[in-house]
Amino acid sequence: MNLDEFETDALAELFNVGLHRAAASLSEITGQRIGVDMPRLVICPITEIEVELTGLLGGEIATVHQMFGGAVAGDAVLLLEQDKAAALAKLMTAGEAGLGGRLDQSAREVLAEIGNIVLGACLSGFGDMLQTPVSFSVPRIHIESLKNILRSLRIDSEEVQYAVIAATQFRMSELAVDGYLVVAVGAKSLARISQVLADRIP
Amino acid sequence: MSERRIRFSDAQAPMLREIGDVLDVGVLSVDEALVITGWNRWLETATGKRAAGVIGKPLAVVEPNLRPAARNAFEQAVHGSTVVLSHRLHGYLLDIPPASGIDGFRRMQQSVRILPLHSDDGATRGAVAIIQDVTERVVREEELRVAMEAAQSANQAKSSFLAAMSHELRTPIGAMSGYADLLGDGIFGPVSDTQRAQLVRIKTVGRHLLDIVEEILAFARIEAGREEAHLADADAVAIAREALVAVEPLVGRKGLGLRADLPSSPIHMRTDAVKVRQILINLLGNAVKFTDAGQISVRVCAAPDGATVDFVIADTGPGISESDIRRIFEPFVQASGSFARTHEGTGLGLSVSRKLARLLGGDISVTSKTGTGSVFTASLPAR
Repeated sequence: MNLDEFETDALAELFNVGLHRAAASLSEITGQRIGVDMPRLVICPITEIEVELTGLLGGEIATVHQMFGGAVAGDAVLLLEQDKAAALAKLMTAGEAGLGGRLDQSAREVLAEIGNIVLGACLSGFGDMLQTPVSFSVPRIHIESLKNILRSLRIDSEEVQYAVIAATQFRMSELAVDGYLVVAVGAKSLARISQVLADRIP
Repeated sequence: MSERRIRFSDAQAPMLREIGDVLDVGVLSVDEALVITGWNRWLETATGKRAAGVIGKPLAVVEPNLRPAARNAFEQAVHGSTVVLSHRLHGYLLDIPPASGIDGFRRMQQSVRILPLHSDDGATRGAVAIIQDVTERVVREEELRVAMEAAQSANQAKSSFLAAMSHELRTPIGAMSGYADLLGDGIFGPVSDTQRAQLVRIKTVGRHLLDIVEEILAFARIEAGREEAHLADADAVAIAREALVAVEPLVGRKGLGLRADLPSSPIHMRTDAVKVRQILINLLGNAVKFTDAGQISVRVCAAPDGATVDFVIADTGPGISESDIRRIFEPFVQASGSFARTHEGTGLGLSVSRKLARLLGGDISVTSKTGTGSVFTASLPAR
């Protein structure tokens, strides 16, 4: 199960729209200009996520984790390197959170809100495309190694599982933070996404 | 996977209200038109408004100062989105004064989650906001932030002062040494043997003073985060030999033995050779300084997995007591007891050496027994 080149491009565009919508929301909340890059997309079996992300993310990773359900169901995670996540929270709060490069409680909450906005904006695109709403669990923050994070990805089904990885960069003031969205879905959900994308391609 | 929705039936509503009343958070529910359907006891206490007086009224009427971001969050939630409002970005959801005894905030700082509510047939029936009072935590974080900034500022000021003073001292010391050379060379007239001996003393003391200043400068650079590792291919054995050559005269002057257990073939490393040499000279210099009889021995070996290289320096000095061993890597500290400040130096050598070792990705450890001697091991990554 995989998407062809046109479907992958269409999906990247869907993420791009979601990311820009998220950046606009964050800019409005913080009163600061926040930019995002056009995401690079990789679709792979869930077992290959580590190979795809190794070398891109090192050390302890800060994640915002939300399960989602509805027309498509799965597990979505936003991954940022811990020190970059703290720097992002610090900049967004004018230095009130993330002091000394630490993800303190306030910084974690800010990160939860950022993740909720980013994941919500991107995955709502699926709902809009499929014309049925997607619902989300409350976002959870974790700080751990990449290996442990990937182990915690969960889909309640026995079917073959896939991951859509969207790599982007959040830019704010002099700071650029690489961010990775991992959306784990079952084969049925991916097939449904693929079908709708194929129908939309002229 | 099941959908992440809060579903409940009308029959469950009274039970949920009772649960809400015992929670230590605010629970505010609204219907799709943002009319208040639930207001728990915590909210009654915090706002002074009774549930009976607010239920059935539009949220905008009960909370006329509800900000656009908060209203927007409720709108999103009743349309199915989960919303997080962090206190650092929004401050508060409801206009509630802080609990008594908290200064610095006019309003209670709130961390909020707003979740969509669905009836048991899956239809949207509104949203529920869970409101947590985080004011006390914010006050504590603010105090911590101010304290950390003050500490950082004081530390930077100290480092700048040390660096500036060391520069100011180094220049005249260099000049003193230069003038002593000129006098010794007879540029300003003939010099007697007695005068020449005094000039040698001036130069020796000047060199010693310069060493101390250099140590302070190194410490200030590290503290200020301006010290960087310049990695290159190097031979651990050659670095150890160079360090031994530097301390040989000191060892000879004290009549100590010097034993080097070095492999005949090179041990390849990728490291900053200058800093490794500085660490070894510091450790060897300390060993000589604190040892009055016996010998200093040096061993260099690679770990079996090749990941690290150990430089082991052992002496037959007085040893370090258990209470002192925990403090010797702190700056400006020498082992206390009968040796307190009986040995010259700034007390920075070990502190600088450990910081340099850590800068290179390694560390320095020590084992010691009073009356027997000490063993310092600088363990540094090979690659």
